[in-house]
Amino acid sequence: MAAIELDGVRKQFGGVTALEGVDLTVEEGEIYGFLGPNGAGKSTTINVLLDFVRPTNGTARVLGHDVREESTAIRERTGVLPEGYDVYDRLTGREHLEFVIDSKDAYVDPAELLDRVGLDPEDAQRKAGGYSKGMAQRLVLAMALVGEPDLLILDEPSSGLDPNGARMMREIVREENERGATVFFSSHILGQVESVCDRVGIIQDGQVIAEDSIENLQEATDVETTLTVSVDQRTDAVVSAVRDVSGVTAVDETGSELVVTCSDDIKMDVLNAIEEAGGEVEDFDTHEPSLEELFAAYTDGTDQPQSRAATAGAEGDA
Amino acid sequence: MSWDVVARKEFRDALRSKGLWVLSLVFTAFFVIPAGAALWWDVGIRGGQEVGLQLLIEYIYLNIVTLFLPLVAIFAGYAAISKERTSGSLKLLLSLPHSRKDVIIGKVVGRCGVVGVPLAGAFIVNALFLIASRLTFKPGLYVTFALFSMVFALVIVAVAVSISGAVENSLYSIIGNMTFFVSITFFWNLWANSIGDGLGEYLGVTGAANWTTVLFLKLLNPSQAYKTIMNSMLGDGSNAERLARYRMFSGGNNSEQATICSDVLAGNATEVPGFMGNRTVCQESAQSVPLYFSDGAALFYLLLWIGLAAAVSYYTFNQYDL
Repeated sequence: MAAIELDGVRKQFGGVTALEGVDLTVEEGEIYGFLGPNGAGKSTTINVLLDFVRPTNGTARVLGHDVREESTAIRERTGVLPEGYDVYDRLTGREHLEFVIDSKDAYVDPAELLDRVGLDPEDAQRKAGGYSKGMAQRLVLAMALVGEPDLLILDEPSSGLDPNGARMMREIVREENERGATVFFSSHILGQVESVCDRVGIIQDGQVIAEDSIENLQEATDVETTLTVSVDQRTDAVVSAVRDVSGVTAVDETGSELVVTCSDDIKMDVLNAIEEAGGEVEDFDTHEPSLEELFAAYTDGTDQPQSRAATAGAEGDA
Repeated sequence: MSWDVVARKEFRDALRSKGLWVLSLVFTAFFVIPAGAALWWDVGIRGGQEVGLQLLIEYIYLNIVTLFLPLVAIFAGYAAISKERTSGSLKLLLSLPHSRKDVIIGKVVGRCGVVGVPLAGAFIVNALFLIASRLTFKPGLYVTFALFSMVFALVIVAVAVSISGAVENSLYSIIGNMTFFVSITFFWNLWANSIGDGLGEYLGVTGAANWTTVLFLKLLNPSQAYKTIMNSMLGDGSNAERLARYRMFSGGNNSEQATICSDVLAGNATEVPGFMGNRTVCQESAQSVPLYFSDGAALFYLLLWIGLAAAVSYYTFNQYDL
């Protein structure tokens, strides 16, 4: 059974269409990254799952329950880190956890959870109104973990966290997944999704434009890597040598620079080829693909944006 | 059923609001000042004669309660849901397995506790002052007054929280709540009488049917329902209930008063010579006050507001997107 199943979900706010028929499936036990730029519809999709917003059309099921009819049953088994939340200023961190524990009829030691997310016991005794964004994020993550939920829904979980916090977040996501939980998290940062996810869905302008395994995604992003090399002697021999390197898809000449589009793992091959052809590399720079370029890799050359089976190679040639 | 968890959280959270404690103190002061006056300056003793706890409640406390208690209740409840909605903490609350109905019920109950507990404290402190004063303290009467005042306060809290759940933000909530407060405190009678006049003028509904409608409209006002129930409790004898309802009309001519007394309240209207000509008094008859105008009915109308407000709020709150 799928943990999350969205079928043709449309959502209109007044005259604005936030979701245009989202289809998406998250299998039980996987870590699913939901990737898209800000405003693409990630949070609206998550809000549909939690019955925060009601879809205009389409159906959504979570853990086998309809999101409209049996929302409380879903939320009993789900831990949520929402986006755009606020903590209760006058309650302490510990009281927040106790409230969640009471709400979910769970038996857990708040201290244990607080320790897991890296909140000091002293901080837990303080009112949450004085917390920094990062501390609040840790607290709400701890709240999401109460009662070993079957599903974790995390909306931009790393926002407000420092690099240590982001690492802690990734570790917890992996640990929870090993325990058996399905994890669904959204992000607008490619690197975060790449490092933990089994599968990704990419959303743009309210539509899921691709659902793919992380390997395919990585291939797609590799194709997009751009290597800019300054060469002292930009001879034709150098250019053709670079062209001959397998994995190079395009070479552009701009001034004294060569702009090479190639897969990420052959950068050194390119540089070696230049040296062997008699050119001297003065400087080089790699350009990591941005999310926008990744979208381009998935959408370019196809009139049907929902090309789920899109593979990196095909897209790269297109 | 998880509203109790929400209610407990709400109670813990809102009880820490300093503003609410300040208001509770102000309110206790309002209560204690008349009692203190009775204690220190022998207010309530006129020419060696005691005017009694009844009169103190009737002429001072009922006005304090209907004027200031709703303000405290509104202050305690108007932001209950709208503030969480604006700040986003509602997302945390609704991420948990609470239905929106549980949230409304829990919020109403929790905020009722937030008002009820300090209010009960104020009544107890006030009782000590009254006991110490030279007025005869009548525990039964005082407890009745305290209990019905609490019921009244809780009805207003329920309405305030419900308005908070039905609107988009706290500003709209305070506007809605103050409109409600001003309506029940200052304009209700005007509207009830205007409707009565309109019925007579345009639909030809006159006499007993007209007055029955007007009285019914008046009783729907939670503030007046509370007041007339208290007046009935404060009065002596079996005619107290009828007199309390009868007092809700003032300024009519003798024939109108007679219609109200005999045809609306099933009483015995008698003209007696008064200070400025004859006046109509309403005396007991063989019949009792119609059931729909009884104290029990007035209490029912008062409590109806909780259900009505919560239902409207639930309907609206359940519709909207966070």
